[in-house]
Amino acid sequence: MQQLTATRWVLALYTALFLAFLYGPFVVMAILSFQQGPEGGPQFPIIEWSTFWYKHVLGFAPPSRVAPLPIGEALTRSLTLAFATMVVSTVLGTLTAQAFRRQFKGSGFVFYLVVLGMMVPGVLLGLGMALVADQMDIARTWWGTAFVLHVVYTYPFAFLVMLAIFNRFDKGVEEAAWALGVPPGRTFRKVTFPMIFPGVLSAMLFALTLSYDEFPRTLFTGGSEVTMPIAIYGTFAVEIHPNLFAFGVLTTLFSFSLLAVYGILMSASVRRANARASGIQEDVA
Amino acid sequence: MVATPDIAASETGAPMAPKPGFLSRNRHFLLLAPGVIWMVLFLIVPLVMMVYVSFWTQTTFAIKPDLTLKSWATFFGSETYFGALLRTLRIWLTVLFLTLLLGYPTALFIGQFVRNKTVQTVLLVACVIPFWTSFLIRVLAWRPMLGKEGAINIVLQKLGLITQPIEVLLFTELSVIIGMVQIYVVFMVGPIAFMLARIDESLIEAARDLGASSSTIFRKIIFPLSLPGVVVGAIFVSVMVLGEFATASALSGRKVNLLGNIIVTQVGSLKWAFAAVVGVVLTVVMAAVITGLLRIVNLRREL
Repeated sequence: MQQLTATRWVLALYTALFLAFLYGPFVVMAILSFQQGPEGGPQFPIIEWSTFWYKHVLGFAPPSRVAPLPIGEALTRSLTLAFATMVVSTVLGTLTAQAFRRQFKGSGFVFYLVVLGMMVPGVLLGLGMALVADQMDIARTWWGTAFVLHVVYTYPFAFLVMLAIFNRFDKGVEEAAWALGVPPGRTFRKVTFPMIFPGVLSAMLFALTLSYDEFPRTLFTGGSEVTMPIAIYGTFAVEIHPNLFAFGVLTTLFSFSLLAVYGILMSASVRRANARASGIQEDVA
Repeated sequence: MVATPDIAASETGAPMAPKPGFLSRNRHFLLLAPGVIWMVLFLIVPLVMMVYVSFWTQTTFAIKPDLTLKSWATFFGSETYFGALLRTLRIWLTVLFLTLLLGYPTALFIGQFVRNKTVQTVLLVACVIPFWTSFLIRVLAWRPMLGKEGAINIVLQKLGLITQPIEVLLFTELSVIIGMVQIYVVFMVGPIAFMLARIDESLIEAARDLGASSSTIFRKIIFPLSLPGVVVGAIFVSVMVLGEFATASALSGRKVNLLGNIIVTQVGSLKWAFAAVVGVVLTVVMAAVITGLLRIVNLRREL
């Protein structure tokens, strides 16, 4: 038993180190985002603490030799693309998962076809799509060729999430509604949708964050109008500046607020469900 | 509400029977069609096109649909390109091994030693949080960590462990491996922790009551039961590492070229046919790796 306690402590210590390894680069990045500007580079030591690079990212800094990040246009494109991808892949994922609630011939084939979308590396898919577009004389654009690939990537995630939700879902409730003469449309709105809502929300979150950060697929298919990840990728070849780090910190904060909204919606939905359940119990009593 | 269908029927004046019959008979088809059509058009067609184009003739800036094996011969005849294949395989195996080695103890701690569900979730979420920072920025963040004047060298010098900064940390194969391990290790931890948390505790108690030592319990019970998690994690890591190019180009100063990097460069210089050959090679490698991993355990039975 003593040996087991010792193992527990060793593993706990190891896990702490492991988390430090995961967070290390991010902490260093956050520190360096407060580097003095515009002369200070993306390395230690910190010449002087300043918020210059944050102003630079937001466009308030005086013009300098460091080109500003194309925040306005590229970020708008990325967010628009992520939003469209989210809507389409959640709808497709829900439809397909709904079909999987009953056994059907060829279900294995459809399952693997959909899951393949998240398995094939982005660079291959981007290459293939660019070839198809070139041969068919279709212009490569972020809202066309890149968008369809984003959906290919995120739709499998939405599908798997919805599949898991439908698997746990009590079909009897829906059947009861039908038996009581509630029309299918109303049953979906009043019975099915509230039950699958947490799943829909998770599928949407998956699709949004994956698409927003996607770049191997976009690289070959996005055309000349860049999305945010492609703009960042463009800086790989040239010198990097702490403005990228400031941008990284800002986007991380943005992601956390998104996550917080998700958490609030999720707990509200759970609370509503609980309240409704207890209300029904009172009615019965 | 019940009367609505009758009104609808009398309004259209058509018999009701065929329409709902058609809908319910083809309900499955209608639900499946959008997704399947999307995947065939935008997933299967591009991949087939890639295989087809790999046999096309490459001129200076264009490709012509005259079938040839020339691009294939170039790939396997060239030291650079064949070397990239070997390098990709070597880095993939190293990263796979290291993610398993570094990830397993953490998964073991979360899945077996933490019995409180809330703490388990908190620890797993803590592992996932870095994913909400852009992938590319996370890669770039390794540069000030590993550089000659980077955080690691500064700390080691302050501690008096080294006198000269270690230069092999950045812009080498080592930095690419470090970066990839940090980015992908979570995909190993998650599935393994999930499988470990599902192990029935009474099984381990029974073994202990029968006098089995901790190491025997690990070897005979815990590890075999976590194997499906290892395989799922290995599939995730393999798929992502084999298709990588960004980490390699950001942390190696373009010195380490993986198959993915070659595709990017070839597309950049409009050598489509050759890029397609590299793409097909990558697809074949990946298919072989996944099939091999699925041989280890029967996932459909285990999950």
